[in-house]
Amino acid sequence: MRRVRNVPTGVLAGCLAVSLVAACGGDTATDEGGGTLTVWFPGNSEAEMALVNETIVPAFEEETGADVEVTYVDWADMSPKLNTAFAAGTAPDVIGHGVAATADLAHNDRIEDLTPYVEELDAALREDMSAALPGGEISGNQYIIPLMMTLRMIVYSGADFEEAGLDPDAPPQSWEDVKAAAEQLTVREGDKITRAGLVVPSDPIGAQQAFGTFLWSNGGEFLDEDGTTVLMDSSEAVDALEYYVGLYQGSDAVDNTLGATWASSPDAQQPIATSQASMQLSNAGDIGKYQDAAPDRDLRLMMPPAFEGHEPRAFGGPANGLMINKDSSQKELAWDFIAYMIDPDINLDYAEALGALPVHASAVDSDYVSSNPELAKAVEALPANHPNPNVPGWVQMRDAMGQHLERALHGEVGAAEALERATAEVEKIVDAGS
Amino acid sequence: MLLTRRARRSRPWPRIAVLAFVTALVLLPFLWMISLAFTKEGQAMSGISLIPEQPTLENFSVAVQAANLRQAFANSTIVTTVAVATNCVVPVIAGYAFAHLPFRGSKVLFYILVSTAAIPVSVTLIPLFLMAKNFPFAGGNDVLGQGGSGLLDSVGGLMLPYLVATMNIFLSRQYFAGMDRDFAEAARIDGASELRIFTRVYLPMARPLIALVAVFSFTGVWDDFLWPLVVSTSAKSTTVQLAITTFASTGNVKYGALMAATILVSVPVLLVFLFNQRGFIAGLSEGGIKG
Amino acid sequence: MAVIKPRPNRRGRPARQRLHSRQARFGLLFVVPATLYVAIFQLGPVLYGLVLSFSQYSPLSRSGPQFIGLDNYRGLYGDPEFARAMAITGRYVLQVLPPTVVIALGLALLSNRAFRGVGLFRTAMYVPHVISLTAVSMIWLWIYSDQGLVNEVLAFFGMSEQRWLATESGALNAASAMRVWKALGSNMVLLLAGLQTVPKDLYEAARVDGANAWQQFRAVTLPGLRPMLTYVVAMDIIYLAQGFTEIFVLTQGGPYGSTTTVNYLIYTEAFQYNDMGSASAMAFVLFAFIAGLSIIAIRVGQGRRP
Repeated sequence: MRRVRNVPTGVLAGCLAVSLVAACGGDTATDEGGGTLTVWFPGNSEAEMALVNETIVPAFEEETGADVEVTYVDWADMSPKLNTAFAAGTAPDVIGHGVAATADLAHNDRIEDLTPYVEELDAALREDMSAALPGGEISGNQYIIPLMMTLRMIVYSGADFEEAGLDPDAPPQSWEDVKAAAEQLTVREGDKITRAGLVVPSDPIGAQQAFGTFLWSNGGEFLDEDGTTVLMDSSEAVDALEYYVGLYQGSDAVDNTLGATWASSPDAQQPIATSQASMQLSNAGDIGKYQDAAPDRDLRLMMPPAFEGHEPRAFGGPANGLMINKDSSQKELAWDFIAYMIDPDINLDYAEALGALPVHASAVDSDYVSSNPELAKAVEALPANHPNPNVPGWVQMRDAMGQHLERALHGEVGAAEALERATAEVEKIVDAGS
Repeated sequence: MLLTRRARRSRPWPRIAVLAFVTALVLLPFLWMISLAFTKEGQAMSGISLIPEQPTLENFSVAVQAANLRQAFANSTIVTTVAVATNCVVPVIAGYAFAHLPFRGSKVLFYILVSTAAIPVSVTLIPLFLMAKNFPFAGGNDVLGQGGSGLLDSVGGLMLPYLVATMNIFLSRQYFAGMDRDFAEAARIDGASELRIFTRVYLPMARPLIALVAVFSFTGVWDDFLWPLVVSTSAKSTTVQLAITTFASTGNVKYGALMAATILVSVPVLLVFLFNQRGFIAGLSEGGIKG
Repeated sequence: MAVIKPRPNRRGRPARQRLHSRQARFGLLFVVPATLYVAIFQLGPVLYGLVLSFSQYSPLSRSGPQFIGLDNYRGLYGDPEFARAMAITGRYVLQVLPPTVVIALGLALLSNRAFRGVGLFRTAMYVPHVISLTAVSMIWLWIYSDQGLVNEVLAFFGMSEQRWLATESGALNAASAMRVWKALGSNMVLLLAGLQTVPKDLYEAARVDGANAWQQFRAVTLPGLRPMLTYVVAMDIIYLAQGFTEIFVLTQGGPYGSTTTVNYLIYTEAFQYNDMGSASAMAFVLFAFIAGLSIIAIRVGQGRRP
């Protein structure tokens, strides 16, 4: 009929092309045999994948005879994927996630209380991890075992400091001095900043963590201790946000990366490495990678600053860790895997691959830390860490306030108004959860 | 207006120039996609040139090895094949019945069925998710759909909402309604069964329709994103569209491999379309809205 | 004509009527599979969703949905986030629809005649429609990226580059431009099909009356094209109001919520924040919104007042 005599051949050709590509893939069926431990890790770090897939997992499989299947899930997809997997009953045995996600999962009885397992750990090992473990507790029970520590610190270029007439050996100690130094370091062409004095993440999640850093080092908090009262509209908070906004807005702005998401770009493309910035609020553990990426920039770490009259505090603490699915049929094996991951040597390799700070105090003496004085500074600064609140609904609170913070950063609303609105929204979430 | 004598006499070149320009504009993004896919990673960031200086296949090998693309192809192939098969039968016979074998209430039923095409996906998304989870006898479920994961995270779950597209019922009815009834009457008087009348008289005349339904179903199912995003929780039930998004993960986009994967994923639909395009576009005009 | 009237003569039912009832039986048999499927997997979920919209349900929780009456809808009524998402969705539809339809109509008129290469043109125009929204969004992700095509072209003309997807004012427009590009070809092909149904002798008659090209377009083309134009507009509304994939790929709803369409909000509400009841309520409000817009479009298309 009409001009379509070639219909079946057409569809056939398409199907053939499809199946050819599929067939080239060979056998991809997964083995569902017993003794298979499923593990999800968040993120897409190639160094992490290489280390876990090629070294850690084979060694663990050799040791236990088990079969470990690791899946990496992009950070942004982790929560939706995990929620649907729990609903479906297909959640993995071992779940890697940020500490922020723990409270909701524990609240819904989805993850195993790991306290009894931790109690059986060697006392010396527990002591060695005593800085990290409490970050994974909820109401005194251990729900997540942290795999690494993180801390926001300022990376600065000694070369740029000297060029601007600043002493690289005596970096600023307060946020006020940081701003003054940043103004001195900023290079402009007309109105346009060509080299930023200080860059701070401004993507929604990064902005919340950066704001926390300013807030806590100004004596403020997001929530009170029991997580029932929202304290985000305090004068400390308003001052902290005004400082943050001042980095981008006004004639003495020092940061031209508002709206850009450089935080997860490759090391060599970070503003501090490409000379687009002289100071950068960063994950302290990445210092080694930045130094490798830009050896002639004399990159160093600055001890966490505070606002005048307050103690230094910076976003940090246990970053991601491992949990056990409450419905897992192989909890013992799952714990064996976790225990393997927190073995001091293994964990050190892992932290090094990810550019994170290790969870063991003893790691200070390791080659990885002691061979780099800047990294040693980061470990030394760890006690200044301040984690985000660990309460149910936190992810939703974080997203809600992230939007208002961004609005303020763009100068759309004043700091006080943005925080008032954020407070109202977070209060709603707190009320809904209780 | 386009057939006025003046228009007929006018030169076609201005018209062709405009259309050629628009075509170029529409195809430009695809040319860049191809160019990027053959450009070495890292070079893509520095300067723009449509023809890569040193073309490389590296991105394709990265794409095929990463992101479970092979598993995704296998899954998408199975799901699409099954959905094309069911859609070429179930809605087509229903459309035929609505056009030629009326029964009491058939008109009302037809309108009810067709109006479901306007229901937003998000209305049925969550219920379908829960229905897939509680599907009896699947994924460890008992007869009441309890106890297991049902069809979630499985190829069966992926195909669940695609098996009959109501739009195809509409297209089929429109198509068959345009055919003469006398053929059937004559065959009936000769004592032919209804099944025989359909398969021997009308079906052979419906090849453009089948082509249209097949291409629509193929592209619709192969290209869908939201349902797989929700129903697939692990690599074993991933689809091609899900697989390519993993290359664009936050902040660290590898454009070369991403474009290579996008090309691989788009080639099947493109082939199906190009092989059928003449009949497809003809079928569109015949099966479409009338009056 | 399907109605079988009882005949006064009871004896000897004529062959014709027997035939009709046999046809009806087969007709019923032929529609049963499709009807069952639609009832179970289309209408069933709508009812189930309606029940969910009156319930509280988290996929993380171990208990089932709990009935909470109108609370979800009441919650939406005062929710600024939802109101904003509705406004964004409305703006998205309204700024994509007119350019798509007008340009597609222009192209359809231009290519509605036989000339060398017209087939190639129609095929090429249709390609963006065939390639998945996911895939084209990936391509445009690069086009809009810092060193992407748009910025390179701007730089070539000496203009400063911008972060297209990172500003509140720009991100939704960037997504809209992509959707115009994607929908152009399929709209054009449908309108072309519509143009071919306009009777040729009407043009002849108009010309005899001395109508110029524009008058012919107004008096003959547009009325003849009305059914197809209505169909195209209604379908575009239904698709555009459900924008999700391009948002997921290009902006993830940001920057600061400026591209969070209702469908994107539903997804995050249900699967990120685990509130499936509230998400279902949003879906039904969106349903009403889409139905309302489509009905207005259809009534205008039929020449009635909205």
